[in-house]
Amino acid sequence: MLSKLLSSQIIIYHCILFFSFSLSVNYFLNLEIINYLAYVCFHLTLIYLFFYFFHFALIFITFLYGIFFDIFLVDNLSPHLITFLIFVILFYFTKKYLLNLSSSKISYIIIIFTLLMFASEALIANLLFNYPINYENFLWIFIIFIIIFYPTLVLFSKIDKF
Amino acid sequence: MALSFKVKAISRTRFIKNLFLSFIVLLSFLLILFSKSDYLFVNKFKSISNTYIHPITSFVVAPLKIASNVKTQFYEFRNLKVENKILKEEIMRLKKWQALAIHNNSENRVLKKLLNATNNNISLVKTASILTRNNFLYSKMIKINAGLKDGVLKEMAVINHRGLIGRTVDTSINNSKVLLLTDPNSSISIKTISNENYSLLRGADDGIHLVSAFSKSETMPKVGDLVVTSGSAQVFPADILVGKIVKIIKNNFYVLPFVNFKNIDYVQVVETK
Repeated sequence: MLSKLLSSQIIIYHCILFFSFSLSVNYFLNLEIINYLAYVCFHLTLIYLFFYFFHFALIFITFLYGIFFDIFLVDNLSPHLITFLIFVILFYFTKKYLLNLSSSKISYIIIIFTLLMFASEALIANLLFNYPINYENFLWIFIIFIIIFYPTLVLFSKIDKF
Repeated sequence: MALSFKVKAISRTRFIKNLFLSFIVLLSFLLILFSKSDYLFVNKFKSISNTYIHPITSFVVAPLKIASNVKTQFYEFRNLKVENKILKEEIMRLKKWQALAIHNNSENRVLKKLLNATNNNISLVKTASILTRNNFLYSKMIKINAGLKDGVLKEMAVINHRGLIGRTVDTSINNSKVLLLTDPNSSISIKTISNENYSLLRGADDGIHLVSAFSKSETMPKVGDLVVTSGSAQVFPADILVGKIVKIIKNNFYVLPFVNFKNIDYVQVVETK
């Protein structure tokens, strides 16, 4: 069980996850694109981990990331915490159906899951803390997501073969 | 026998997993509830995260931070010639104003003496430098290197030489978080200099301007009017420069702050005398 938890691929994914988290919460003046890139990369990596390397400890890790994202980006607990937990629990209960799907269908589901995560975070922040839904930010996130989605999946499949 | 043991073992694992899942959900619910009601617990939790987790993330991204700083310096270096020209023109303009200001100042001092008025309504608590800034996606905040040990408390005004920056919202021993004026959740009571139109301002959706949320008087202020703090909400001392009205759309006016939030290095925490 421990060997599964600490396999080299999972360590790499967790390093990517932590690195993209660190980049997201540290604002780069004049290089805001890095923040967007890291934010999208974090969500993508998290969902990829849900699908291909799901472990029960991931629920707790997701919980911690949700809290810290909320503290550093929103300064209030809720949007990321609720979203991450909803998606991890949703995945936990439906994984036996989702994992039977073909890889192309899983890719589509990853796209839908990621975009839904961004939308629900913004929606919860808007409903609970009055943060306006900024469509310009959304557009940036969407464009970056579209650009990096395929290369990221290729990179991840390379890591899987590592 | 073996089958029965296996079934029991599986159900026990599932039970523990479900118990853990329920615990996580319950904990999240409690945390969200506390963040809405119990400020002490959540603030402690936030300050611990800011003190211990944020430095780790900053260390991880240090090379990129350096790259970002180099890029900023490169931009500044590239604009040096143009900036120099602008500054020379500004010096000429300011020299003319200086003569007028010296004259007004002496006149002002005499008038204050006649009225028996106090000189200044604010006192400096601490001058601090910026540790980190957060202007990404949701909240607009900065973290400064002054905290409880320097006498910085929650709900204190933060200014620089250009005007009002924001207010402290979270303080730990060594650091404090400052909510910038441009945050949609920030609210300040202001008045216009020309006709003393009292209003409330909050951060606009664009993250650059401030928009009026409530206006006391029926008449709208004019574009170009200067806006200062009214001092009525007890957080901000009165008469601190905030910005200039740049546009009026429907029943709201938009204020462009005097402070350039992308170019703040040092700030001053102040309180009402």
